[in-house]
Amino acid sequence: MSLVAEAFVSQIAAAEPWPENATLYQQLKGEQILLSDNAASLAVQAFLQMCNLPIKVVCRANAEYMSPSGKVPFIHVGNQVVSELGPIVQFVKAKGHSLSDGLGEVQKAEMKAYMELVNNMLLTAELYLQWCDEATVGEITHARYGSPYPWPLNHILAYQKQWEVKRKMKAIGWGKKTLDQVLEDVDQCCQALSQRLGTQPYFFNKQPTELDALVFGHLYTILTTQLTNDELSEKIPLPDTW
Amino acid sequence: MAAPLELSCWGGGWGLPSVHSESLVVMAYAKFCGAPLKVNVIDNTWRGSRGDVPILTTEDNMVSQPAKILNFLRKQKYNADYELSAKQGADTLAYIALLEEKLLPAVLHTFWVESDNYFTVTKPWFASQIPFPLSLILPGRMSKGALNRILLTRGQPPLYHLREVEAQIYRDAKECLNLLSNRLGTSQFFFGDTPSTLDAYVFGFLAPLYKVRFPKVQLQEHLKQLSNLCRFCDDILSSYFRLSLGEGTCYLGCASLREWGLVLK
Repeated sequence: MSLVAEAFVSQIAAAEPWPENATLYQQLKGEQILLSDNAASLAVQAFLQMCNLPIKVVCRANAEYMSPSGKVPFIHVGNQVVSELGPIVQFVKAKGHSLSDGLGEVQKAEMKAYMELVNNMLLTAELYLQWCDEATVGEITHARYGSPYPWPLNHILAYQKQWEVKRKMKAIGWGKKTLDQVLEDVDQCCQALSQRLGTQPYFFNKQPTELDALVFGHLYTILTTQLTNDELSEKIPLPDTW
Repeated sequence: MAAPLELSCWGGGWGLPSVHSESLVVMAYAKFCGAPLKVNVIDNTWRGSRGDVPILTTEDNMVSQPAKILNFLRKQKYNADYELSAKQGADTLAYIALLEEKLLPAVLHTFWVESDNYFTVTKPWFASQIPFPLSLILPGRMSKGALNRILLTRGQPPLYHLREVEAQIYRDAKECLNLLSNRLGTSQFFFGDTPSTLDAYVFGFLAPLYKVRFPKVQLQEHLKQLSNLCRFCDDILSSYFRLSLGEGTCYLGCASLREWGLVLK
């Protein structure tokens, strides 16, 4: 969204309280949704739960195309549509609910940094595994991504998405990485998160924040999704605090 | 004595040992951990590759990309993070991710995409560092690579317009600079009194933005208002790079003498 549109949305958001009929849209749960989208959707659901805001989850095959930014999940609240965790957190804050208000400046900086770490490493690794690892692509991703559509659309859409993701990987320097290197990065990321969490119940104090929601979304999805190889889920150190 | 480590990277200007962020990160880290690095500045001869710079060459290895080079140096026992706790190590990773996601797009845009800056400063400088036909091609390729990276990571599919993204990336970059400034506070380095990997990365990204003279300067102006970050860059430049600025010019002098075969390599 452009800056002006965002400011406008914030103002309108501030004017109305959270309605009862807010909905979250994602792809079809059983057959279509992929690892990375599921993680993102779960993170948003966890965040809204933590804020005690009611939300209804609706599954639509074309959720990705309905979204204003092309990414799922997105929420439909009143007459506004907001997608992705970052903007949703801002939107919820404009409505007067925030999980990170009690944090100091340095802690907020740390929280943002760790959220970027998760996006940078975990999310990119998930995308890599889904779209650039031939075994997974062939057996799982292609079939799932195009499943609601008839032939030949299912193949075309899947190939198009794969091409887009591969372009992005190449632009950020992940194009030449092997699966082992990607898993090493995931390992490093999980070690860092584990160090930061230590023995506390949540990352900051005793209250959960959006960072906890994001990490939960990703870790839970990785641990519970069946892929062709289980190396990704093996990288997560056994949860004793989750 | 350890095998000689040679780093090939882009040269310096405007008071910096290198104008290229990634090269500067590696050079700063080497200074912090005391690694004996022989710096080969990319010059007007046809020797050496320019593609994936910075590149570290040892007797049997060639390593590219700052993260891999730093890992390699650590394995050779040149470790600037020796005194950090595990949590600080984790914070380092997180802040580096923050820099790459929030600050790097705007730095790339300021250097390579903003047409005033690119055509008056960046392109002439890089073109002057490399031999003739390549100087027509390589800067253009680097510029396209930068634009691509910005659009693919921040743009909205399917059209990927730059306009929509520009305002957003500059806003994110300013926020990132504010966060870094808050985190640094009044300390000399990010973790205590000795510099570490995070200091190298922050220096590498901020110093070119701080020192290079651009026509369009919105991000630079914002950085100049954060006095502790400016002080951070100046401190590192004066403590770790003052002596080797003399060496740097000596290398440039040697490079041209070498061309005429007057100095044996």
